[in-house]
Amino acid sequence: MSLEGIGERWIVYFGNGGFFGQLNPMTLIMSFSIMIMLVLIARKIKFERIPGRVQGAVETFFDSFWQITEEVVPNPEYRKPTFVIAMTLFLYILVSNVLGGIPGINVTPLASGINVQLFTDVWYSPTSDLNVNLSYAIMVLIISHAFAIKSKGFVSWFKSFFEPTPIMFPMNIVSEIAKPISHSFRLFGNIMGGGMLVLILSSIVKYFVLPVFLWAIFGWFFGIVQAFVFSLLTIVYIGSML
Amino acid sequence: MDLKTMLETLVTNGGYLGWGLYYLGKLLAAGLCMGIGAIGPALGEGKIGASAMEAMARQPELSGTIRTNMILADAIAETTGIYSLLIAIILLLVLP
Repeated sequence: MSLEGIGERWIVYFGNGGFFGQLNPMTLIMSFSIMIMLVLIARKIKFERIPGRVQGAVETFFDSFWQITEEVVPNPEYRKPTFVIAMTLFLYILVSNVLGGIPGINVTPLASGINVQLFTDVWYSPTSDLNVNLSYAIMVLIISHAFAIKSKGFVSWFKSFFEPTPIMFPMNIVSEIAKPISHSFRLFGNIMGGGMLVLILSSIVKYFVLPVFLWAIFGWFFGIVQAFVFSLLTIVYIGSML
Repeated sequence: MDLKTMLETLVTNGGYLGWGLYYLGKLLAAGLCMGIGAIGPALGEGKIGASAMEAMARQPELSGTIRTNMILADAIAETTGIYSLLIAIILLLVLP
């Protein structure tokens, strides 16, 4: 395996091409398989009155997030929706990041055609595609403003842009636009840059032992931390607007 | 004149000197971007780590919470470094 085609994406063009005529097949395939996997795992866990070991672990895990949500979100009505949104994003991003630390099937386009790599590269992780991250970040932004309008009313929501003085209005608009950009680029840069760094460093030592440790660091450790950061910032963004 | 046609004219008219200038600008910009951009996050993460160590030494019973929050703050302080990494990658791989 050489470094040819690193950082390239397999893109299928249809129709006239352009912005709406492109498709990233690996992102679609991997995100749908992750969703199906998560649904199957969630259906397997049974919740009973006397908890078993799996149920205990799951409840402890979700309870720690629920405590953070209770501290951050002031309005008790909006705690449960915020928690559900943040945890859905967390589970999806966690599984897709961790798949980026397990050897599997990856597809890279070369000049001569499409190159399918079997167990020499990690699985393609959907969060290393900026479209996925940006759509989630914009979704969080829209949800936070919708919740703010619903809880505070339109007038006081609109007034919050003119605080503390009306001169600050452009600054507030810029800070709102900067939110989804920093939110999505943080995750994208970590996963994509980590994957590239692993490939480049591994090619220096001819794929001798080193990739295993690098996959553990960049796939597992940074993946889990970034999934946690993404969902926590979701809670904070929604909670700070209320 | 956009960037692509400008670079094409530079390379076709300049010959070896054009290629040299093209790669000089590209590689130097990527290296400088990554090197200077890593200063800020490094200082920030050092500050966070030092404060977390002090707090852990003062209250060892809270070390679990402090460690979680420290990792979180580290990941947020890293953001500007990640931006410069992205720009370096764009300069190296995406630029025509």
